[in-house]
Amino acid sequence: MSTHTTRNWLRIALIGFVAAALAACAPASPAASVETAAETTVSEPVQLRIGVMGDESTLTPYTYVTGYPGWNLLLLQYDTLYQTDVDGMAQPWLARGLSVSENGLTVTIDLRDDVSWHDGEPFSAGDVKFTVDYFKAHTQSRFTRALAPVESAEVAGEHQVVLTLTAPTPLFELSVLADVPIMPEHIWANIEDPAAHAFESASNVGTGPYRLVEYRPDQYYRFTANPEYFAGAPAVAEITAIIYADDTGGLTALQTGEADMLARPVLPEQIALLSASRQINLAQGALFTTDMLTYDMTKFPFDRAEVRRAVSLAIDRQELIDTVYLGAATPGSIGWIHPASPFFNEAVVTEYDPDQARALLDEAGIIDSDGDGIREAGGAPLKVEFLTPSGNALRLRTAEVVSEMLRNEIGMDAAVAVVEQATWEDAVWPGFDVAQGRNYDMAMWGWSAPVQANAVRITSLIHSDPAIGSLNLTGYASETADALAEALNVAVDPDEFADLLDQVQVQIATDLPFIMLHYPDGAYAYRADVYDGWAFMAGQGIFHKLSFLPESARP
Amino acid sequence: MSAAASPAQPARRSRFLALSGTARAAALIGAALVLGLACMAIFAPQLSPYDPAERVGPPFSPPSPVHLLGTNDIGQDILSELIYGARVSLSVGVSAAALSTALGTVVGLLAGYYRRLEHWLMRLADIVLALPFLPLLIVLAAYVGRSLTNTVIIIGLLLWAGTARLIRSQTLALSQREFVLAAATVGCTRGRILRRHIWPHVTFLVISEFLRATTTVILLEVSLSFLGLGDPLQKSWGAMLYWAQARGAFLTPAWAWWVLPPGLSIGAVALGFALIGFALEEIVNPRLRNGNA
Amino acid sequence: MQASGESRGGRFLQYAAVLILAITLNFALPRLMPGNPLALLAGVDVGLLSADERAEIMAAAGLDQPLYKQYVGYWGDLLRGDLGYSYRQKRPIAEMLAQRLPWTLLLAGSALVLSTVLGSVLGALSAWRRASPLDTSLLWSMIGLNSLPSFWLGMLFIAVFAVRLGWLPAQGAVTPAAQLTGGQQALDIVRHAILPVLTLSLLSMPDLYLTVRYTLLDVIGEDFVRTATAKGLARSRILFGHVLPNAAPPIVTMAALRLGYAFGGSVVIETVFSYPGLGRLIFEAVGSRDYPVMQAAFLLFTVAVLLSNILADLLYRRLDPRLGGVHR
Repeated sequence: MSTHTTRNWLRIALIGFVAAALAACAPASPAASVETAAETTVSEPVQLRIGVMGDESTLTPYTYVTGYPGWNLLLLQYDTLYQTDVDGMAQPWLARGLSVSENGLTVTIDLRDDVSWHDGEPFSAGDVKFTVDYFKAHTQSRFTRALAPVESAEVAGEHQVVLTLTAPTPLFELSVLADVPIMPEHIWANIEDPAAHAFESASNVGTGPYRLVEYRPDQYYRFTANPEYFAGAPAVAEITAIIYADDTGGLTALQTGEADMLARPVLPEQIALLSASRQINLAQGALFTTDMLTYDMTKFPFDRAEVRRAVSLAIDRQELIDTVYLGAATPGSIGWIHPASPFFNEAVVTEYDPDQARALLDEAGIIDSDGDGIREAGGAPLKVEFLTPSGNALRLRTAEVVSEMLRNEIGMDAAVAVVEQATWEDAVWPGFDVAQGRNYDMAMWGWSAPVQANAVRITSLIHSDPAIGSLNLTGYASETADALAEALNVAVDPDEFADLLDQVQVQIATDLPFIMLHYPDGAYAYRADVYDGWAFMAGQGIFHKLSFLPESARP
Repeated sequence: MSAAASPAQPARRSRFLALSGTARAAALIGAALVLGLACMAIFAPQLSPYDPAERVGPPFSPPSPVHLLGTNDIGQDILSELIYGARVSLSVGVSAAALSTALGTVVGLLAGYYRRLEHWLMRLADIVLALPFLPLLIVLAAYVGRSLTNTVIIIGLLLWAGTARLIRSQTLALSQREFVLAAATVGCTRGRILRRHIWPHVTFLVISEFLRATTTVILLEVSLSFLGLGDPLQKSWGAMLYWAQARGAFLTPAWAWWVLPPGLSIGAVALGFALIGFALEEIVNPRLRNGNA
Repeated sequence: MQASGESRGGRFLQYAAVLILAITLNFALPRLMPGNPLALLAGVDVGLLSADERAEIMAAAGLDQPLYKQYVGYWGDLLRGDLGYSYRQKRPIAEMLAQRLPWTLLLAGSALVLSTVLGSVLGALSAWRRASPLDTSLLWSMIGLNSLPSFWLGMLFIAVFAVRLGWLPAQGAVTPAAQLTGGQQALDIVRHAILPVLTLSLLSMPDLYLTVRYTLLDVIGEDFVRTATAKGLARSRILFGHVLPNAAPPIVTMAALRLGYAFGGSVVIETVFSYPGLGRLIFEAVGSRDYPVMQAAFLLFTVAVLLSNILADLLYRRLDPRLGGVHR
């Protein structure tokens, strides 16, 4: 074989390979066909593919995993008695209305009479009572805790239920009635082990606008619309929630048309790029998610108030936002409540003052005695391990910058330790139960939007009793704070409530049981030519059931 | 090689000139690459325009006269990161490769020369070779945690087996050669024979294995970092690519200045070592450089 | 492979030893590491387990029993096919593995075949045409290819072919939630497999190419080949009649040895392309600290590599009954 022939063979092989590859690319991708379908006729049913990160198991109230998007996916199938509208106010949903007794302990709720379950059974007060009883009996659910204010439920008529509360509860509609999904008695009555029970079909029976018809673990969920939905037939006929492993995967899918919307907000650096794209739109707004510093207040150095205050003063939050978020975030308020919230206390001022920080530490005798750049207090260096989860690029960079600021401004050694998500959770919130204590020095943390959206939940951040302060990760124990929290938890009078909430914010700003950094903005990317009916719910984004309902159906 | 070759080594220079043109070019280019990158590592503080951990510009800036390769996602200079990255990659590569080559050579020599040991040592080597490498590395890293030292040790402990097999083969062949047998007859102890007669002929192979191992280790360390199993806060090339991926640089124009340089640098180091190794192989086995039949 | 006369029984014993080592490693690691062994065994924080689950783990692992009894019990479970339960995902692990294995086989298998065939052919061409422009260009490209990080190449392919040009899908094994059947489904699978297989092949090929080239050059330089050429035998006869038969055993050996690397290499590629195989599973399990899944996947990897080694051994015996072989 001469060299010529060899070369020719190689050339032919190469051409053949390329031809084969091109031939394989010839058929149009499914994305293209769906888009064309949506464009040609208005009456074509809309099929939406949404990218989500992470598997949410079988999506029942006992098995879903994350607050976001798990809870949102859950509420596609189930309804709550009240529904948050786009302004964040709780509106009657399965309920028509309610009345509260004089002493605030009895709530009579009138229910709709035109609602039925996915399998055709009518919805009635018995289901509501059953839901309350069931969650109280089978306690491995966060809804058990959500129902803590409710002592018992009684059926007062086919469509009327009476709840007895343990104590008057402010924002009851928002904190309890808009949170807890109603479950069908006729399905769950005989289920003894809700977490492990396997349903015959994937379709968990609920009253919601969608039925889960297919679930492939680690791959996708398929929901079809419930045409009999009491509020009106959903605008999107079928939703497929595709599970992607990471942000890049989701973004790639959106760009190639494999997905039509991403449930996770896009990273700040993608905003400019996506805004320029013709096919992809962005819905932007402020979110109630938080980035904050938590630490163990029961031991040095965060048991010292001066240290906590110095740390808070030493962090330039605006620079942090400009660097890591490219400006797409709101600086944190050390009182916890978001500045855009109606409950925000203007008197709480979050300052950046490194000079004052240094002065505070100097006065407290925490100085750098050996010239190594790190301060000491009675021989013990101001040094902590700063835990950050590995899967979150933005939190990682935030930690890096914060660590640098602390070292440069106040001589504190907070070396960032990158650990697996699971390790981070186990160290900061072992077993998701604050009664188990904590084993960390300092960590990057953050709560999902609903914690901020429901102002009353501020009490769970500060109370020293694990039963009430279920989100108190720092071991904060203050009698004043406990008293304020307990008072707030029963302040049904709006003025009293607002006043107490102001005081709580001041209390938090003074004692600093955690240090707020910022509230990231949310930019959600979607393909407008597939579906354009998204509604941005205050502080929570566009991925919620209202976005899938026609305008007329929204409260 | 004919059986009657003398134990004395021909002068290095003529060995080099006896190489084929390709091998000579390979050796020169390879050496240039490795030396160049080694200089980059050693003189990093002098060469690098900024401290790589310092935020010196606006995030995501494209290349400019002030930042030749632009800045990364929090405003650190990419060129500085690249230069300091050479330190981590080279030090990890060299130390882990040294560990594994040393281990492998010792085991190989012993196995090749002491027949009683051979059986067990080679069984051990085969067992280690048969374990799926990267999954094992990942599993061990998961238990032991993400630290550079641990990574180096684990890689070193896993990589020795291939070298051991090779060295053993060579030692075995050498031990049959006349000059070795002659030395034994004269009464040299086995240890002495190993050291004075066998070892000099094995050196080239050892060096070649060391270079191969370095390439493997560098690429492994980079893979681990990229997967997120390394320390993302370190200034290494793998970490640079990890951040580029995490901040979506592969899908934006930033890939030209954030993704390409570290990838090419890694490739350059690996290539340099590979080229030198390739030239050395020809020295070890002259058959490779003869014209074909 | 083995220069010394290694009996078939000896080889099998050896593989058994590897398996035993891997299983023992899996057994020992969670018990040796600092931390709550219950948590390490379950791969989940103890607080998340129900009392029933905790009792179940205690009983299954026999944590209160002496170590040797635990070890025996562990073996018993494995032999029964009980690979454990993932407490994080609430699913039996065997089910998860069964779902993932076919994809890794498809990926690593195709890449192995492709890279072996291409690598061998090109290596042979190179050796036969030593120092020609073909040889030189192939040599330099292969050495260059061998130096590139795998994920880097993969991500570049995605950026160019999937995102920029839109020719091929960027990730996954199939189009998610598309109800395809028969031919369309097969085509979908093929389209998704092209880029990952291509990447993995391109990265595995240089090694084999270099070895084939090296081995062939070695053999070609042997006396008997010179004799055959001097005798005036046709080149193709020399190639197929003398060179290849002598070179085949070490080449097959090399290919078999690389099986371990091929499976391992698929870990990175599966991650980059989000390909739902075993490699990706190990990676995900590490990230979520799901130790039982991680260990089971690792065991499966080991078994797969061992099986392929056995297969290669059988092939080798057919090719070279002398068993003496050419030592590298």
